[in-house]
Amino acid sequence: MSAMLPAAQALARRHRLQWWEALPWVAALLAFYLFPNHLAFGTQLLITILFALSLDLVLGYAGIVTLGHAAFFGAGAYTVGMLAQHAGWNEPLTGLAAAALVAGAIGLASGFVLLRTHGLTLLMLTLCTMVLLEESANMGHRYTGGFDGMPGLLFKPLLGAFSFDPLYFRTQYLYVLVVLLLCFVLVRALVYSPFGQSLTGIRENLLRMHAVGAPVRVRLVVVYAASAAIAGVAGGLFTHATQYVNLATLGLERSAGVLIMLILGGYGRLYGAFVGASAYMVLEHFLAKAYPTAWQLGVGVLLVLVALFASNGILGIADSLRRRFAERAAARP
Amino acid sequence: MTPPLLETRGLCKSFGALEVAREINFRLEPGARHALIGPNGAGKTTLVNLLTGLHAPSRGAVLLGGEDVTSLPQAKRVKRGVARTFQINQLFRGLTVLENLCIAVAERLGAGGSMLRPAGRRADVIAEASRLIETLRLEEDAGRRVGELPYGRQRLVEIAIALGLAPRVLLLDEPAAGIPSAESHILLDAIAALPAHIAVLIIEHDMDLVFRFAQRITVMVSGAIFAEGSPAEIAGNREVRAVYLGSALDA
Repeated sequence: MSAMLPAAQALARRHRLQWWEALPWVAALLAFYLFPNHLAFGTQLLITILFALSLDLVLGYAGIVTLGHAAFFGAGAYTVGMLAQHAGWNEPLTGLAAAALVAGAIGLASGFVLLRTHGLTLLMLTLCTMVLLEESANMGHRYTGGFDGMPGLLFKPLLGAFSFDPLYFRTQYLYVLVVLLLCFVLVRALVYSPFGQSLTGIRENLLRMHAVGAPVRVRLVVVYAASAAIAGVAGGLFTHATQYVNLATLGLERSAGVLIMLILGGYGRLYGAFVGASAYMVLEHFLAKAYPTAWQLGVGVLLVLVALFASNGILGIADSLRRRFAERAAARP
Repeated sequence: MTPPLLETRGLCKSFGALEVAREINFRLEPGARHALIGPNGAGKTTLVNLLTGLHAPSRGAVLLGGEDVTSLPQAKRVKRGVARTFQINQLFRGLTVLENLCIAVAERLGAGGSMLRPAGRRADVIAEASRLIETLRLEEDAGRRVGELPYGRQRLVEIAIALGLAPRVLLLDEPAAGIPSAESHILLDAIAALPAHIAVLIIEHDMDLVFRFAQRITVMVSGAIFAEGSPAEIAGNREVRAVYLGSALDA
């Protein structure tokens, strides 16, 4: 047996944790202590990161282009809200599990039908799925509160000990952070597994993937359902954190927004969700304060710049800088 | 007599009014070294697409080891040992050579659906992918993205992927096309080194290669089988010379 190829050694090590992967979590904990008055915003940011992460799994890895991912966020949010409102089921953790189950089931059923199609057809059908859910939530107002949604929901303390804090969001922030960490560990394991590799294969070349004997559609439906369940968890967290749910959890604005954030950060690279959602939401937060009428202009300019000069997103810029430094170091005698 | 490994019965395929395969009765014996030749547009690639299940036939049947597989999708036929290369490379261009091969090998070993264990811990998959890289002398490019490689090197990856599926039947669609002549011996060595039990069908325009490699040759013209026989019979067939070989052999 000959020595192991360098590329094989690299592949065998690739899934190992790098030191810098601790940074987002350290930053999130630091923020908890440094900005105690901004934890409501921080909680929203963490929820959005989780939602963007779920989108990265289907869009970035499997190459499923969707404009309807808010369908699953909304399904999770409404599941938690309706259980609390109508069934008195207001224990948070089981509510979150129910959100994942319902959203995952909707993902499984719609994915089974939708994922026969590709490209623009698929894009339109994902949009249609979301609009159908949105209209159902709008019209079924006996159950969903219709246009007004369900305000003033009450939830039991977390683990029976930590009650949600409507003013400072301390409990919510840490709760969302822990759930985000758990979901991230799961998503990270998925993308580095042979299953994750096969998704990348499907994204890169569908024809070849069929020709190596992969059950392409099964893989796509499975990842779509898993991603839907994670998006549903994000939606459930939203309802827990804000104690209300309304139609904005389900709309095109949320779908398109998270898509833009993911592209901004860089898709198909796990941390693009963190970088993109943070950049977008922090910018939005401060611009909206400074220029209440024109803040969207600033966000728009940033997006145009990214689209023109950094099609791989912010992390793509970091990559090419690192490569340039490495080349310069290699060129030095 | 053992049944042929791969067989078609009355296979027909039309795209609208265009008949691209007409009543094809074709047999590939176990361990065959079989070449499929004919002018451009004769339907050679179409036949391969029908054999692998990329296209469904309009009429007729495909049998693998005596069993009707006409209604089986591509992936299931691959699992039963039918692998192919494409006339135009179909690779995972954004991934490295090694990753390309790992995907194929993982599917064959049934690891492709495993979700929680890192791909890097599948030492069996990585070791086999590395062996394929050595077979096709791709060591220097193992860690490079396929899209960055010259076309000829990509061609070798295409063949390595098919070999990674450990096929019983290997269908090579113009494997030498695009490989510089200085590197074509790598391909020829790889084909010559294939285990004898694998049946190989090769579509090729390079008659040197065809006559060196094939024990049997089928000539297709306008979607139908025009002639079939040993290399000597085909080379001596006047009609074949008239429609196709004449120009190819004299050149």
